[in-house]
Amino acid sequence: MNATTPSAIRAVGLTRTFEVGETTVEALRSINLTVDQGQFVALVGPSGSGKSTLLNLVGGLDRPTSGELWIDGVELSAGKEKALTEHRRQRVGFVFQSFNLLPRLTAVENVALPLMFVGVAQRERLERAVELLAQVGLSDRLDHRPTQLSGGEQQRVAIARALVNHPAIILADEPTGNIDTATGAEIMALLRCLNREQGVTLLLVTHDPEAASFADRVIQLRDGQITEEAAP
Amino acid sequence: MRFRDILATAFSSLTRHKVRTALTTVGVVVGILTIVTMVSLGIGVQREMGDAFNSVGLETVRLYPVTDEVSAFDPFGQVERTKLLTPDLVAQLQARDDLVEVTPFLRIPNGVNIVVRLDGREAQAAPYGPRPAVVLGPFETLPETLAGTDEPPAEGGSVVLSSALLEDLGIAAEQYAGLIGRPVELVLYAPRGESQVFPLEIAGVIERQWNSSVSLALPDRLEMLQWWYNDPDYMAHRGYDEVVIRATSLNDAVQIVNWLSTLGFEVESLKTMLDMVNRGMIILQTMLGSVGALALLVASIGIANTMIMSVYERTKEIGILKAIGAAPGQIRSLFVLESSLIGLLGGVVGTIVGWLLGKGLNWLALKVLEWQDVPMEGTFFVVSWWLVLAALAFGTLVGLLAGLYPAARAARLAPLDALRYE
Repeated sequence: MNATTPSAIRAVGLTRTFEVGETTVEALRSINLTVDQGQFVALVGPSGSGKSTLLNLVGGLDRPTSGELWIDGVELSAGKEKALTEHRRQRVGFVFQSFNLLPRLTAVENVALPLMFVGVAQRERLERAVELLAQVGLSDRLDHRPTQLSGGEQQRVAIARALVNHPAIILADEPTGNIDTATGAEIMALLRCLNREQGVTLLLVTHDPEAASFADRVIQLRDGQITEEAAP
Repeated sequence: MRFRDILATAFSSLTRHKVRTALTTVGVVVGILTIVTMVSLGIGVQREMGDAFNSVGLETVRLYPVTDEVSAFDPFGQVERTKLLTPDLVAQLQARDDLVEVTPFLRIPNGVNIVVRLDGREAQAAPYGPRPAVVLGPFETLPETLAGTDEPPAEGGSVVLSSALLEDLGIAAEQYAGLIGRPVELVLYAPRGESQVFPLEIAGVIERQWNSSVSLALPDRLEMLQWWYNDPDYMAHRGYDEVVIRATSLNDAVQIVNWLSTLGFEVESLKTMLDMVNRGMIILQTMLGSVGALALLVASIGIANTMIMSVYERTKEIGILKAIGAAPGQIRSLFVLESSLIGLLGGVVGTIVGWLLGKGLNWLALKVLEWQDVPMEGTFFVVSWWLVLAALAFGTLVGLLAGLYPAARAARLAPLDALRYE
C-alpha cells in the first residue's frame, strides 16, 4: 500500500450498540478493518451479524457508538450533521436492495437528483445523468418512470444515481436481493466493471455467495465481529 | 441548492395531491377573502365619505342658535332660543373677507301643510332648499334642472317645482318649458282652521323623482313662517334656524369656529364630523379584519396539519433524499416553501374572490339603496394595490409560519429510520 494514499476505509475499534427497551444489542463489536482504494469488498454473514450496520456507518447514515472511522483520510465519527451530509454528497454513493428511486421522477431525473442538492444547474445535471444512464446501458429508458422499468433496470438507474457525484466508494446493500438470478449476475458484472474501470471502491453487503464471488475480498461477519476473511 | 430547484420541487409536490392542496388552500382563501372584502369595504367607504365631505368642503361650518331644554310636556311647542342667529350677525359674517359664503336657513316646520294649486289642480308638496351652492349632505347629488332655473331667485316671489310634484299635478315633461313665468298658488293650512294663499311665479323645474317638493326663497319662507306663527316680528323673536359658513381655508374655518364659540354659539364643523367618521371606520375595519385574521389562524392550523401528514407520507422519500446528499436545511426549505406556496395560492385566489365579492356586494348595495328610494352612485369596495400585495404577502406568511414546525420535523428525521419506514 502506498503510504501517501490514505485507505478508502479504515475502522479502528468500531462499535455500534442499540438500545432495545431494557437490553443493549451490540451490532458491531470493536471492528478493525482497512479497505484500500479501488478494492471490491463483500461483507457476508447471517442476518443480524452487523454487516448492514457497518455499511450504514461507512455511508454516514448512522454514527458509531465508539471507535474511529476514517473514510478517504477523513475522520467521520467525530463529524457533525453537516459533515455527514457533505460525506454522503461527495464520498459515497448508495445502491439499495429496494432501489429507492423516487417513483414520480423519470430515470434521468432520478439520476440527476443528487446534483440538485449540490447546486448544479439543471441542464448540466441532466447531461451528466444521460451520460451515466448510457454507461449502465439504459439510453433508451431515459424518460421512463421506475414503475415502467424492470427490477434490473431500476437497479441500473440506482447505480447510475450512486455514481453521479463521482464518489470514492459505492455502498451496495443486497443489490441483487430483489431481482432474479440472471439479472443479478448482470448487475454484479456492471458493478465489477465500474470498480475495475473507474477505480471506485466497492463495499457490498450480500447473502448471495454468487454475488460475493465477484469481490476481491470477502469478509465474514457474525455477531458483530469479523470471523473470517478470504479472497475467493 | 438553487432556489429555482427548491421552488420546482415544492411545486411538483403540491400538484401531486391536487385535491388535498385545494382543500387546504380553501381555508386560506376564506381568510384572505374575508380580509380583502372587509378592508376594501373600509377603504371604499372611507374614500366615499372623504369625497363627499371634500365636495361639501371641510372648510364648511354649521352654526346653530343656542336653545333651552326641550319641554317634555309640549312636544309641539317651540323650543326657546336663548341666543339667536340674527340678520345682524349674518350681515356681520358676510362682511368678513375670510368667508367665501354665508348662507342663512329658515326651516318650515314639518307640520306645515303646503298645497300647490296650478290650473285648478292641487297637490301636496314639501318645502325644499334653499341651499348654498356647495353644501350637500354626503352622497347627495344636485338635482338636474329640467326647465328655467334650479334655485328660486333670492329676492323671493317665485318657486322651483320638482318633477314628482308636476306629475302629481298631471303635467307632462313636454309642458315644463311652458310653465316658466306662470303664476302658481301655494296654500298653507294652519291647525287653527285658517288657510292662506301665497301667489307666486314658477321660476324652474328640477328633476326629483321621488319627492313632491317646492323650492322656496328665504323671503317667501319668512312670510309663511310669520303667518304660521302669527308673528309679524318672527325674525326678531326666532332668528335663522341655521347659518352655513364656508371659509376660504380649513385654517380660517378653525379660527371662525373658535371665534363663534367664544360668542356662545353651537358650532359644528365638518372636520370634526369627518374625524369621527374616520375613527369609526378604523374601528370597523379592525373588527372586520380580525374576523379574517381568525379565519387565517384556523387556516394555518389546516396547513400545518396537511404538512405534517405530508411529512409522514414522505418519510421514506425524505430518507432517500438524505441518503443521496440532501442537507437538513434543504429538506426544511422544501417543506417551508411548499406550505408557503399553499398560503400564496390561497392569497391569490382569496384576493380574486374577495375582489369579485366586493363588486357583487357593491352592486347589491346600490340595488337595495335604489329600492329603498335612496339612489346613489358609489364604489364602496376598493381593492387597492397595497391591499393586493399585503393580502398575498400575508397569505404567504401564514403558509410559511404554518410550515415551520412540520418542516423542522422533516429536517430532523434520522436518515436510517426514514429509509426503513414503509
